[in-house]
Amino acid sequence: MSFAIETKNLNCRLAKSFSITDLSMHVPERAVYGFLGPNGSGKTTTIRLLLGLLRPTSGNIAVLGMQVPDQSAAVLARIGYVPERLHLYPSLTVGEAMRYHSAFYPTWDEPWANEMTRQLQLDVTRPISVLSKGETGKLMMLLALAQRPDLLVLDEPTDGLDPVVRRDILGLLAQYVTDRQATVLISSHLVHELERICDWVGLMDHGRLVAELPMMEFKTGLKRLRVSGAPDSLSGSPFTLLVRERGNGVVEEWLVRGWTPSMQQYLESAGASLREVIDLDLEDGFVEMLRASRRAE
Amino acid sequence: MFRTIVWMQWKSTRALVLLTTIAAFALPLFSLKLGLNNYSPVGFVTTMQTVGSAYSILAALAGLLVALAAWRADHAGRHVYALSLPVTRPRYAMFRFGAGLLFMLPTVAAMLVGCLMVTFSGVIPEGLHAFPISLTLRFALATLVAYSIFFSISSSTNRTAGIIVAIIAGVIFAQYLLTVFGDNRQTVDLFDQLSKFIFIRPGILSVFSGRWMLIDA
Repeated sequence: MSFAIETKNLNCRLAKSFSITDLSMHVPERAVYGFLGPNGSGKTTTIRLLLGLLRPTSGNIAVLGMQVPDQSAAVLARIGYVPERLHLYPSLTVGEAMRYHSAFYPTWDEPWANEMTRQLQLDVTRPISVLSKGETGKLMMLLALAQRPDLLVLDEPTDGLDPVVRRDILGLLAQYVTDRQATVLISSHLVHELERICDWVGLMDHGRLVAELPMMEFKTGLKRLRVSGAPDSLSGSPFTLLVRERGNGVVEEWLVRGWTPSMQQYLESAGASLREVIDLDLEDGFVEMLRASRRAE
Repeated sequence: MFRTIVWMQWKSTRALVLLTTIAAFALPLFSLKLGLNNYSPVGFVTTMQTVGSAYSILAALAGLLVALAAWRADHAGRHVYALSLPVTRPRYAMFRFGAGLLFMLPTVAAMLVGCLMVTFSGVIPEGLHAFPISLTLRFALATLVAYSIFFSISSSTNRTAGIIVAIIAGVIFAQYLLTVFGDNRQTVDLFDQLSKFIFIRPGILSVFSGRWMLIDA
């Protein structure tokens, strides 16, 4: 598998109380990679490292086959970036911002951009400083897509937007990804939103990548099991036991990853009895994985 | 790309450029008007010398305003937009610097026109000479020096600004200690030493000091 983004043992210390620690992440080419994590977990810092906006203390970053930050300018020419806050010059109008932005990207698709301004109902004569949050979100996404990037890096692009605008923006994104086979790294703490569009998930917490796995595995392989009579230690387990909690009486609650129904035989051979298998939705899984990682720290 | 940066930067600078251009045009005329209030050539030259410091102040002000305007838009977005554009940092900074330099031209040109108007007004007392070109060149150089210094300070982070403020505070504190605890007969005047170091040739700001004379003997 080839990767659009690959980091190895990335470290970056920004303050005494916060650092990115030993981050090794892999975003496959043409994947839509959901970058999950609570506020302050290090998602934005990681994104800034990937774009060369920050310099790592140590470690290696390769984006689209090029080294960052050494080849940042060449990498950025192929990336569409939507930051979490407005980064455009507020004194410009929508049309001027498009004109300014297009000057830096030879791949800028003018007819498409003009068509999108009409479709998204953006008034090109309005100054950016008076745009609503939804209009700003649409404009930033439009700018990122009209440059025809191979990789989209979106930092909480729909945070604080109403459902209609959110749907517009995600629709635009989905259409682009389908047409261009682009790779997308999208960070969010809106778990359900990512569930619909992502095929890979990376989970950040306290500056560490806690988990990285295909969405399907995340959605289907993460289960809560109610088990009784299990031995204290399990050897050769075909699944990953993330959390083991005593429930009422002899019944224990386990949080496991990589579970398939055929693994029930393994439990029985170990002398345990499986009482119940509970499906977790993505948000439950997200919360449970965070808990498990924090317990392990 | 450069043209687009010039256009964008012009939007945030044009009002300031207009202001300094008007001031640069008016200053030589104003100094002539003041000089003509004196009846003797000596009084005329003295007035010219007094007004002379206004040229250096205007040059510093023009450099300061254009330099601040050059980075204002980027500061507002904490430089995220600029840094995410596919241009190397030195190249982007040179574009911004170059655009600001262009905006100095109207002010310098206005100064030249004002100086030439004074020169050819025919009211300069006999025995005195006008130096419109050399004064304009000096004004241009001083503007360039001021712009370069303020541009680099303005482009820096809060941390760098903090270091600069800390150095100034350190000098003030050291002078205070020297004054309070030093030997009265041999107290060193740090401000005096520092200003000599900076403003007397070949000090970095020496272009601002000395005589700024449009009309002299």
